[in-house]
Amino acid sequence: MKTSRSHRSGPRPPSLAANLMVLAALLGLLALTVGTAFINLGPANAAANVGIAVVKAALVLTFYMRLKTDSPLFRIVAVSGFAWLAVLIALSLADVLTRPT
Amino acid sequence: MNATPTAEQFDDPVQQREAATLGMWAFITTEILFFGVLFAAYTLCRVRFPQAFAAGSRHTDVILGTAETAVLLISSCLVAVAVREVQLGGQRIATWLIGLTAALGVTFLTMHGFEYVSEYHEGLIPAIRYLQTGPLSAPMQIFFCLYYFITGFHGLHVSIGVAVLLVMAKKTHRGDFNQDYHTPLEMTALYWHLVDIVWIFVFPLIYLIGRVG
Amino acid sequence: MSTNVVDSPFPAGETGEPPRESYLDAGYGLRSWLSTRDHKRIAILYALAITMFFFLGGLAAALLRLELVTPNGSLMSAEGYNKTFTFHGVVMVWFFLIPSIPATLGNFLVPLMIGARDVAFPRLNLFSWYLYILGGCFTIACLLCGGVDTGWTFYTPFSTMFSNSNVMLTVVGVFIVGFSSIFTGLNFIVTIHTMRAHGMTWFRLPLFVWSMYGVSLVMILATPVLAMTLALIGLERLLGVGIFDPALGGDPLLFQHFFWFYSHPAVYIMILPAMGVVSELITAAARRRIFGYDFMVYSILGIAVIGFLVWGHHMFVSGQSMYASIVFSILSFVVAVPSAIKVFNWTATLYKGDISFGAPMLYALGFVGLFMLGGLTGLFLAATALDVNLTDTYFVVAHFHYIMVGGAVMAYLGGIHFWWPKVTGRLYSEAWARFAAIVMFFGFNLTFFPQYLLGYEGMPRRYHVYPPQFQVLNVLSSAGATILAVSYLLPLAYLLWSLRYGPRASANPWRAKGLEWQTSSPPPVHNFDRTPAVTEGPYAYDER
Repeated sequence: MKTSRSHRSGPRPPSLAANLMVLAALLGLLALTVGTAFINLGPANAAANVGIAVVKAALVLTFYMRLKTDSPLFRIVAVSGFAWLAVLIALSLADVLTRPT
Repeated sequence: MNATPTAEQFDDPVQQREAATLGMWAFITTEILFFGVLFAAYTLCRVRFPQAFAAGSRHTDVILGTAETAVLLISSCLVAVAVREVQLGGQRIATWLIGLTAALGVTFLTMHGFEYVSEYHEGLIPAIRYLQTGPLSAPMQIFFCLYYFITGFHGLHVSIGVAVLLVMAKKTHRGDFNQDYHTPLEMTALYWHLVDIVWIFVFPLIYLIGRVG
Repeated sequence: MSTNVVDSPFPAGETGEPPRESYLDAGYGLRSWLSTRDHKRIAILYALAITMFFFLGGLAAALLRLELVTPNGSLMSAEGYNKTFTFHGVVMVWFFLIPSIPATLGNFLVPLMIGARDVAFPRLNLFSWYLYILGGCFTIACLLCGGVDTGWTFYTPFSTMFSNSNVMLTVVGVFIVGFSSIFTGLNFIVTIHTMRAHGMTWFRLPLFVWSMYGVSLVMILATPVLAMTLALIGLERLLGVGIFDPALGGDPLLFQHFFWFYSHPAVYIMILPAMGVVSELITAAARRRIFGYDFMVYSILGIAVIGFLVWGHHMFVSGQSMYASIVFSILSFVVAVPSAIKVFNWTATLYKGDISFGAPMLYALGFVGLFMLGGLTGLFLAATALDVNLTDTYFVVAHFHYIMVGGAVMAYLGGIHFWWPKVTGRLYSEAWARFAAIVMFFGFNLTFFPQYLLGYEGMPRRYHVYPPQFQVLNVLSSAGATILAVSYLLPLAYLLWSLRYGPRASANPWRAKGLEWQTSSPPPVHNFDRTPAVTEGPYAYDER
């Protein structure tokens, strides 16, 4: 960790090949999510859509936004944003899903 | 100018860079929650009106939507490579890459503009031109309200991003950034990636539900 | 300015150096203030604006109490009353309580307490003040255009579809002021993370700084939700359709969920800083190390986090699912635990202390008592069954005024008194200050304790008329409000007086610990001559 901070302005960048591989993965996942959307999987369609989106977002966060190599603090900050959003959705869903009709 | 300007409240450039990056991440967190309200509203309304949301989604243009997603993903990669170039000292290539990123942002907005126009002709815009009828037309308006709020707010972010990217391209061209100092460019890239991430979630939720069954 | 040092009963600080140019002398023109990036000057700009809004909101409260002296509504129409309590709520919540301690004392003290030259983003800091002023202008404009009648909660569909008052202006004003608080929070988080002096480890931070850290977390995680929700209301009013529209099947409870996701944590935005202030005041007056420092830190963070999970207790009678209500009720009881830990620890800090009852300490003790009463009645309201009876009665009004006025405002005034010598370099009249603190305590209780009884007997809030059997308690409450008003005007008078006639303060008139007392009063522009190094934990009072 210390060696990466010795660089005056943040961590060493990932290699060009890594950048391009991430892009390839993102575009592949895009194709996958569009493809599965047209196959009837029942409730699994929604899960696949959201699941693939989460993976894509994680790729961008980890590599392009450099959470992998930058200070661990930034990882905590990024996760807390999503965690709080999850709290908002989960607890208000707890109301909507259990309300008597 | 290039002698790594450090603001007077900081001890050294390392501290300054850390403060700026942490500030940017905290800002990104607030942005996640800004968009999050819309996504939460989407979730709660979709749970109540699954059919209307599926029907509304079928009115959107999945081909344009996919193309827009690809454009944003590629632009994200370009700006990431641009930051890398500057860190390694390649300012000329970086300028081009940043310019190209901004151009892709404009492409995205243009494509979305076409979507809005065709939706206007179809009569899908609540409060302005809404011509849908039938039992699902009322809750489908909720879907379209959310669609316009989310894509509109996202489009606003893309526009701001394009403007900032153009400024950064100019600064990179002028040689303001080098191996030692490029924090503003790094922050702009973070912002652009955030805009990308938001769209990564918008795309399946708006365009892909109800394509089958 | 004269420079003769008047003898004070307190020993002079350790720094016997010649007086340096203080931040107050760094420029005198209006421009030097309005374009300043010095966190200390921005704190003063905030203090001036906030004081103005406090007295505006207080004026509205006085009108309300005057109206309620008689049961039949002789002073105002129903509509006028609605607009008055809405103005009181909006101003007091967003333009006084939320920025009060963070934007004034926090701005002034956080860099001093951690040994930094300024906050991390000074320009953003000034910008947030201008946003506050801009938001304030919208709110004043709304008042001038005839006011708004939705209550500070803007419940839909009344606010989106039916209200004929100036909802838009108010919503825009609150939206803007929300950004001001986001930027303040962001600034504090980055400052506390990256700019602590050498040796100032996390567990050597004064609890005030910890409370500012906790409050900043709440500010940046909750405020965006409010801003976006208000934007949705604005759009819905503007366009005539939206996601809250019941005609389309929209769910009004959706709004309440989003609103309270912000507005319940907002209560902790108000009370956490107060807790931080009181921790400083009590340790300095009892000359004791804080009891259970680690637990105090964890309870600040616990309150900040758990405070996000309890918002549904505002919605027990709204049609929210019973199962959700049970979960929210349990979580609301849980959040009382860290608050109770804090009260126990303050009390334990006093044990065997060498206590002096100066004005700041009187405010701090008042805070502990009133906060406890307000907190315990909160448990009544967290119980689902009892809440059905008490919802929207004066019991609720009394409960949150005990927390916000009895708690937050007492602590704010205590903090103002404690750091007044540091901020202004002058000492106020101790006798008057003690007198005002005691008057405030009694005035406050006379105003709000009767409201508990009124609520328990079933008097609903937000009505300008009431059955005659409630008159005695209402008159008592209004009489108390008069005393309370006097006790707020008193500090304004003697503090302003001290600016000109007060004796000059030494660097450390209370012999308190903490980095802010190691620099001169008022501090120089860059706070410290050389960056201090920290070698011990906070509140090292018992090491003689």
